[in-house]
Amino acid sequence: MIPLLLQLRIKPKEHRGFSIWLPFFLFWLIVLPLILAAGPFVLLAALMMSKDGRGKIVLNGYKAIFVVIFCMSGLKVDVQAKDAVIFFNLI
Amino acid sequence: MNEERKKILDMLSQGKITAEEAERLISALSDPGETGSSVDVRLPKYLRVMVEPSPENKGGDRVNIRVPLKLIKAGLKLASFIPKDARTQVNDALHEKGINMDFDKIRPEDIDNLVAQLDDLTVDVEGKETVKVFCE
Repeated sequence: MIPLLLQLRIKPKEHRGFSIWLPFFLFWLIVLPLILAAGPFVLLAALMMSKDGRGKIVLNGYKAIFVVIFCMSGLKVDVQAKDAVIFFNLI
Repeated sequence: MNEERKKILDMLSQGKITAEEAERLISALSDPGETGSSVDVRLPKYLRVMVEPSPENKGGDRVNIRVPLKLIKAGLKLASFIPKDARTQVNDALHEKGINMDFDKIRPEDIDNLVAQLDDLTVDVEGKETVKVFCE
């Protein structure tokens, strides 16, 4: 599923830091139409590059963008080091 | 005593399986219908990497990472976009380090198998820090 929320917490040493919930779905509302709009151009580029065999790579790359976006949900990184705390969670 | 039960007990006596595994297998034999429905066939979804400091080193860094297996699979497939020259360099570097691996020979089926086998992966390293790698 596409990640809809991003929980982010950054706390550098001796600083108060911050913790926020970002509505990631708003980001997708902007980015996904752009990616989709790029589709015909990617297809055109793939056709132009098909002679030297790179067309398939371009198409697979375009597909990979969607695969990665849709697989990111559930990614969680929590690092508590001596000088900083970094936490992010894609929900 | 039926044949299957005898085999399980033989494996237990030979130390091939633990007592808990033997119990589970025998209960599966005694009521296959019931166990068939209760067996947990849930596939793992995430790869977890946890690093915790040892009790003596309480101020150490802590790391807790959860990566969706689907993302790992997608990432591995992206390896096919690496230009051939770069792949050759990676292969050469791996060979220099004594790792016999060829990126050119990795096929999508291999990636699927690799990710499927991650289910059984468990790594426990204890030293100054405790490192755990497992799937859940």
